[in-house]
Amino acid sequence: MSLDLPRVLPQIQQMGETAARRFRELAQRVPQARAALGAAAGLAPDEWARRLERAGKDWRGARPSHEPLDSARPAPPHPDRLDVIGADGSQVYPDRHAAALYFLVNIGSLHLIHGSGQPPSAASVPRLRFEEGDLFDDFHGLIGAEAVQAERDIAEMAELARLASAVAAPPSLALLDNGLLLWIALEEREIGRTRVEAYLKRYWSSMKELKSHAVALAGFVDRPRSADVLSLLHLAELPWEEIDRDRLRQTPYLGLADRALFADRLAPGQRSALFVDGSPVNKRFDAEGFQVFFFYLRTGADDSIARVDVPAWVAEEPDLIDIVHAGILEQCRITGIPYVLVRAHELAVVGQGDRERLDDLLGIELVRNGIAPRGSRKAESKRWTSQRKRHSL
Amino acid sequence: MSETPSSIGRVTRCSIRGFAGATQLPETAFPSFGDFCRAEMRPSQTAGKADAADYAVGLIYDLSVQDDELARQLAAADEPTAEQLLDSQLRRSIPVEISALTVGHRVGGAWLAGLPPQPPLTLSRIYLLDGDEVRAFTRDLRFLRHILAADAVSQEDLLEASLQRAALAQPAPARDEFVLRAGRECARRLGHDLPRLEAILERLHEL
Repeated sequence: MSLDLPRVLPQIQQMGETAARRFRELAQRVPQARAALGAAAGLAPDEWARRLERAGKDWRGARPSHEPLDSARPAPPHPDRLDVIGADGSQVYPDRHAAALYFLVNIGSLHLIHGSGQPPSAASVPRLRFEEGDLFDDFHGLIGAEAVQAERDIAEMAELARLASAVAAPPSLALLDNGLLLWIALEEREIGRTRVEAYLKRYWSSMKELKSHAVALAGFVDRPRSADVLSLLHLAELPWEEIDRDRLRQTPYLGLADRALFADRLAPGQRSALFVDGSPVNKRFDAEGFQVFFFYLRTGADDSIARVDVPAWVAEEPDLIDIVHAGILEQCRITGIPYVLVRAHELAVVGQGDRERLDDLLGIELVRNGIAPRGSRKAESKRWTSQRKRHSL
Repeated sequence: MSETPSSIGRVTRCSIRGFAGATQLPETAFPSFGDFCRAEMRPSQTAGKADAADYAVGLIYDLSVQDDELARQLAAADEPTAEQLLDSQLRRSIPVEISALTVGHRVGGAWLAGLPPQPPLTLSRIYLLDGDEVRAFTRDLRFLRHILAADAVSQEDLLEASLQRAALAQPAPARDEFVLRAGRECARRLGHDLPRLEAILERLHEL
């Protein structure tokens, strides 16, 4: 072990004290945020439009939806029968020190028909990518973690679409263990516009398939850190003439997350109002008819708050929103996060041991094809030192 | 030997007298009490065909299912749904430990009823013997002595279960003859313990 624990211990103690102090300070701001939510709920739609326009194109906070800002909606009844599908992915990133360049995306999924009394269907599908077109971006550089994550997200959405198309009768709920926006869209400068367009097209194609089956699609984010609603409250509190980029940054809620506000406001099972995600990526999704909305949900008796993303076709259809709300609550009843996502993760996860076995098999195949597998000197030297033992006399 | 045998686990602990393996299986794919299995040993340096691996042969006498956090969550819940229970029972891979009593070995392609010279290799795969292998191994019934001498094993139950497997591996016309031979082998070994012999023969009679 290289970490000198006695040396880091005083820093850990200091960190603990700072974290506790910060927690107390942030908790004191929650009542202010709660009052701000009540006041903001009284703003007329015209006033919101004026304020958001003044905030400008750089505004990244949430936007109000058609629902009252301070609403707290109780759990609707759960359908007697509901197809629930969950997909999650895991990945192995390309390693330039390895014997060969590749990356792997493994997608786990579970399709459970609540109320059927039948066992669910489980799947785990690995995809190994090793062609040049997969590995290099538009500028001929080796793709990075963001691109592999995008491939994983696209494969997750495609798996949901595949399973949803096999559902015999609506309603159905399809869940991802993440938000719904594809963040690679922000990487155009780094990896090239053509490539980003191709990613988005594939992702939207699966969303289109889900929409055509009227599937209640949702992205589940456990322990969300976003503060989009708090930013919106700050915008509502500012005097009109003081709304500018600098003042918008000087929020009194700095460090506080939306979930602290909604843990205080929502009773178990209740959800917040719908909001529109304000990120620039969502503008591109909106142009395709897939604008992303979100709400917060208190998933159980403890103060667990999840953020739930839904596309426009779900947000604008009360029956579908009710399916998302009731379906997620039922799925969270035992496991805290949706059962289908717990199982999808279990089916997807690729551990360090899997990675080592994958490399071993790859080495055998290289030998079979007349190539001696050889990692970089750096990889070799890491292997020498990673199993350091103490020798004693 | 079967061309594509499916592994039921890997050896995690072993000795000359037995081995234990761990695996992750859905509950439907479990091996059974009394099944014959084999696990690879270090290759013999003295004799044998170069292309035939050497194996320790075991009889499965215990299967234990280990729990995990998700199983505990479901067990502690008021009412898991029927679908969640079925998922855990039929679909979910769960950690299983398999314990086997060594009753023989195969070296250089020959099946032998004595204890192997070495335990299986750590992390070697454990396979169930197929019908041909069971027939070949049980041709020599002296392997029964290992069951009758085993501690911490229900000897009568394991004897009955293993002979049942072995009898079913015989062609139908030869089954009665096999059971008769097994009865004689037991009588030879338990002549000094008539009550126990009688109990075992009663069970064999029911096969």
